[in-house]
Amino acid sequence: MISATLNKHYKTALMEATGHIGDSPLFLLDYMLRILRVIILMSLWQMILANKGSVDGLTLETVLVYTFLAEVFRQQMECRGSGMETAIWDGSIANRFLRPAGVFSQFVAQMFGRWFFEFLFFSIPLLLLSPLFGVSILPSSPVALGLFVMSLALAIAVGLAIELIFGAMVVLTSTVYILYQIRDAVTTLLSGALLPLAFYPWGLGEVFGWLPFASMASAPLRIYTETGDPGHLILLQVIWAAVLWPIAHVLWRINREKLVSHGG
Amino acid sequence: MKNSSLTAVDAQFKHNLDLMNFEPLNKFNHLLRLWRVQGYLDLMWMTQDWKLFLTYYASDLFLNIAAVTGVLFLAERFDGIGVWTKPQVTFMLGYAMLVRGIMETLFGYNIFSISRRLGRGQLDHTLVQPHPVWMALLTEGFMPFSGSASIIPGLLLLLWSGTVLALDPTISWLFLALLNVAASATILLSFSFIWGSLAFWAPRATEEISSSASGLLRTLMPFPLDGLSFAMLSGLMTFLPVGFLAWYPARALLGLESDAWSELLTPTVAAIFSIIAVWIFKQGLKAYGRTGSQRYLSFGHRR
Repeated sequence: MISATLNKHYKTALMEATGHIGDSPLFLLDYMLRILRVIILMSLWQMILANKGSVDGLTLETVLVYTFLAEVFRQQMECRGSGMETAIWDGSIANRFLRPAGVFSQFVAQMFGRWFFEFLFFSIPLLLLSPLFGVSILPSSPVALGLFVMSLALAIAVGLAIELIFGAMVVLTSTVYILYQIRDAVTTLLSGALLPLAFYPWGLGEVFGWLPFASMASAPLRIYTETGDPGHLILLQVIWAAVLWPIAHVLWRINREKLVSHGG
Repeated sequence: MKNSSLTAVDAQFKHNLDLMNFEPLNKFNHLLRLWRVQGYLDLMWMTQDWKLFLTYYASDLFLNIAAVTGVLFLAERFDGIGVWTKPQVTFMLGYAMLVRGIMETLFGYNIFSISRRLGRGQLDHTLVQPHPVWMALLTEGFMPFSGSASIIPGLLLLLWSGTVLALDPTISWLFLALLNVAASATILLSFSFIWGSLAFWAPRATEEISSSASGLLRTLMPFPLDGLSFAMLSGLMTFLPVGFLAWYPARALLGLESDAWSELLTPTVAAIFSIIAVWIFKQGLKAYGRTGSQRYLSFGHRR
């Protein structure tokens, strides 16, 4: 039974991974943008932090590793690629309810499939090219690596819950793109994926650090760069995952009968 | 007996055809009329459902501000970035927002993302209009009310930074500033059209190429590029003209460039890019004239 369920989702993930080239022939352009963005961000940090030593507990080397890893694991930290937005927009979400698999788990399988493709063709090559960027991405210890992996898994759990909550809000408000664009903007700004939260002015970083978005990127990145207390950060991630998942489930239970499939 | 309504349509059509051959002044009047119609439609869209309009407007406002907030935070935290002081960074970000706002106000409804129209076969809608294609493309995307969510905060940032920097703009400086903003917007639009024209030949594969290409520029445009290597910077000033969308013109207008003619570089590059864009688009139109679109459906959705 478990193996049959796993197999169904494995096939979904595989279809998504292999179909990515056909469905998104512009993926290379997207990868180019991401590499350019990381180069520009790193040059920005070099301009700002060169010869400044440690600023708010962060050195130039730490920030470069932080920025680099944020790009390598961007998919996982943003938790996008489930296809939920498109499914709601083009109406194909109606078909998901008819398939012999859970609706959420179908989206999750699809997301993992997309991640697999990108991890293979973008993240791993980028990691291998890290010396060219002047970044040493080796973890300081096996424990730091283990804690990072644990934190990244929790970041995905929190991110998935947020993805589902936004999906539910789309159904409630019937505004697909606007809500997802807001989700992307909010996540980028509040998660600490673009800039370390410690560099936010007016003490905003400390406030944002308590929000669920910070559990999606800032927490694992701070753990990897050893600029935060792993115990505190992981506990906060666990709390947010425990709070957000029931909310996502309740919202979708309420939503299910409000779902209207117009087609796109 | 001739149908009277058909006669009226015929007369209007003839009138519009005549306009195409008219003097430049009449063409300009026709442009103004089309902009007025589009402006009216935008106003109607806005006023028919205030709740929906406010939702969209507030969201656009938020998204546009969020796009520059990261760099703004950095400038605030470190009291500037490299050679740029905090108000100078704010000026550059205001400039970037204004350019983005112009695109959203003048070239909405997928004119800016032209590959979508081409890829979906919706160019046919434009071709049956009783005026030239260039006129349709210049006017159909006009959204003065709903598209202004980027223009207003951009202008506010420019005004604030201008006040703090104690800019004392002369008429010639203002003219050059407007010329540079228009030039940056032209470069952004041309870049979208250069890539978007690929949809004439590969409608399905490149339907989204305009949004990917211009998204690439728009994502990178708020960043100061001073720290990049010469090779990297050269690429970002030619093949991928990010540097001309805010960074270089802002440097020129703020006097950070030593070259006396620096304010005219962005307009020159804009002229080059627009010539390339028009040429490629015309080639695409020729190809479209032979093949048409297989993806058009009468109810507007694509296959």
